[in-house]
Amino acid sequence: MHIRDGILGPEVCLMAGVISLGAVSYSLRRIRFDLEDRAVPLTGMLAALIFAGQMVNFPLLGLPVSGHLLGGVLAAVTLGPWAGCLAISMVLIVQAVLFSDGGLMSLGANILNMGVVGAWGGYGVYSTIRRTLGSSHAATVAAAVIAAWLSVLAAATLFCVEFLLSSHSSGFDPRGILTLMVLYHALIGVGEALITGGVLAYVLGRRPDLIPELGKAGPVGRVGGFAVSGVVLALAVASILAPFKSELPDGLDAVSEQVGLSALEVERPPLVLEDYAIPLLASWPQLSVSVAGILGTLIVFAGAAVLAGMTRRTASSIVTTDGSHGG
Amino acid sequence: MANTEPAAIELRRLTFQYPNGRIALDEITCSIPTGERIAVVGPSGAGKSTLLMHLNGLLPAPPITSDDKTQVFVHDRGVTRQRLRDIRRQVGFLFQDPDDQLFCPTVRDDVAFGPLNLGLSREEVMSRVEAGLAAVGMADCSTRNPSELSTGERKRVCLAGILACQPAILVLDEPTSNLDPRARRQLLEILRAFQGTLVVATHDLDFVIDLCTRVLVLESGKVQADGATEGILSDPLIMDRYGLEVPWRLRKP
Amino acid sequence: MVVDSRSSKQSLFQRMPGSIKLLMALAMILAAGLIPLENWPAHGLLIGIIYIGLSIAGVTTGYLLRRLALFLPLLLVFGLSAPAVRSDGAAWSWTISLWLRCTVSFLAGLWLIHVLPFRELLITLRRWRCPAVLIAMLGFMYRYTFILWDELHRLQNARAARDFGSGPWWRTWSTNSQMIGLLLLRAMERAERTHRAMLARGWDGSIRFLEFDE
Repeated sequence: MHIRDGILGPEVCLMAGVISLGAVSYSLRRIRFDLEDRAVPLTGMLAALIFAGQMVNFPLLGLPVSGHLLGGVLAAVTLGPWAGCLAISMVLIVQAVLFSDGGLMSLGANILNMGVVGAWGGYGVYSTIRRTLGSSHAATVAAAVIAAWLSVLAAATLFCVEFLLSSHSSGFDPRGILTLMVLYHALIGVGEALITGGVLAYVLGRRPDLIPELGKAGPVGRVGGFAVSGVVLALAVASILAPFKSELPDGLDAVSEQVGLSALEVERPPLVLEDYAIPLLASWPQLSVSVAGILGTLIVFAGAAVLAGMTRRTASSIVTTDGSHGG
Repeated sequence: MANTEPAAIELRRLTFQYPNGRIALDEITCSIPTGERIAVVGPSGAGKSTLLMHLNGLLPAPPITSDDKTQVFVHDRGVTRQRLRDIRRQVGFLFQDPDDQLFCPTVRDDVAFGPLNLGLSREEVMSRVEAGLAAVGMADCSTRNPSELSTGERKRVCLAGILACQPAILVLDEPTSNLDPRARRQLLEILRAFQGTLVVATHDLDFVIDLCTRVLVLESGKVQADGATEGILSDPLIMDRYGLEVPWRLRKP
Repeated sequence: MVVDSRSSKQSLFQRMPGSIKLLMALAMILAAGLIPLENWPAHGLLIGIIYIGLSIAGVTTGYLLRRLALFLPLLLVFGLSAPAVRSDGAAWSWTISLWLRCTVSFLAGLWLIHVLPFRELLITLRRWRCPAVLIAMLGFMYRYTFILWDELHRLQNARAARDFGSGPWWRTWSTNSQMIGLLLLRAMERAERTHRAMLARGWDGSIRFLEFDE
């Protein structure tokens, strides 16, 4: 998920940096208000936890690569969106400056995609769903699972936008890039959703008091939550539906055809990798994306249901043991 | 005893109940004169750490101003929220796990944390940091990362951070846990050099014999025995009843 | 820990102010970003300059190659995907250009982590008027990352001691999630204890730093 330096143009990095700077400063202001004198130890520890948690490797179905936690939604659910955004930003800063992981120039873009969209956006989705479903453990886990998946897709879409805004990407087909990114991140998102749900289910079973109730948000806060989750949802939906747009050529498509950007319809010279790498993609880009999107959605919702069920079981078993102690 | 000086710490029927209803401390009354070194011993879960955390207002939310509700008095002044800063300046607290206490990236930043919070001048803070590190024999480690230090060294750095605040009373929770014999001996030397009042909660009874003059046996949140170190620790009846053992050095053949 | 011991090696850059080092690395990365992608000689030149810097900083070529090897698969993925979304046949040359640009930035970052210890980074940030809360949090995070890593290793060892061979993948997923969950519980409990330790030393929420003479 980390964007390395060189992939995005400097002008895009600057823009993303300015937005991230604003987001981080705003989070800093809010957090001292929310957590008071506990802000430093709690947020610092949360950042350390996310950093350490990212070291745990999750095997990917016999593939030689492995996934890991990103943590935006997990952080936001644990300490709220402000601390969550700060924790992710700090992890990214330390990774960029001390581990040469990610990049210095693209730090702003990384914070925007993972910290702001991941924690703020993820929390917006989470709180909206939780308001609807109620505050049971099962609802909490389900809300976090869905928020995690959507936030990863939204971040991927945002990356596409950033990449296409960079000057050196002019030869690329926007839909093609989106297709690839969504395919790839539908998978990553499922992983992130399952890990987030699993961690949260475990924590809720042991120390439910650690996961705070939703803040007493007034109407303004609620509208903000809806707005943020709307944006995240729109980005995510765009990522799944955008490849379909070629079926009904609208303004954007007409323009891109004129400029010669819509490469997917053009006969391509045969390339070595085409034989085996992404045959599905080459012939059925739209279908494969939507299949991935739908499959991902199904897996996420199934995962949410299973995890929510597990929480209910653990919660009830804890209640019974407590009861037997009391009696 | 005609001791006109106010007691360093006085507990008046100190009672504490956890939010889950368990009673941790049950009407503890005790007076610790200035300069005394006292040990609090007892089985795990007896309430030792809970008791210690009352001594500088860490555990219960203390009453805001009124003296009549407080049960803990430091130098004859009740622990109230208003006086919290003042009380914490007088009472230094060494926690069991040094990693909980060393939260700065370098040793000297950590030792400087307390003095900086006292609002001292830069020069004063610097000299306190130096003096604190020198007192525990860690002067040459000031720029190191605490992660690179051994447990014993980290414990000493913690102590330096507390000594740099120049407290009159030192409260120590399990100071010798996880220490190897040499580190334990070094800690003992440092604590013996300390001039003020000492309150130590520990399972290490040999350490108590070497350091303290008085012992408080705590079990189920109650004071079960209170007296001179040798008298209590060499009494097999008391020791056995509260899950302790008479140290070899005090066993009679 | 690892980072600090590596970056405290004696070198020309040790006495250089942190801001200069940070700006130098940034300038390199920015230069790589501004030079047109097709201008391979210029990128090669930048790589050469950074390589000299890395040699002065005491980084061995073997280490560099190992780090670069870790970073290759990612670009391979990028390179393999590029032709699929680009029709003009320039995909491969584009990929190689991008790879060059990324390598410049990566090496510049690598140089930075070797010459800028964490403490110096914090001092630099302080000089740059970065909010004190953020610096305090960064210091806190840095300190406890190592502790949580150790704790994680202990948890992993404890699991390995009881877990014979690898189970199906979903079991690994669930135990791994539980492990992170347990780490989260412990981390938050530790944060509470640390907060208490801070209160005991007079913490009232305002951050005070001591400027030491370097």
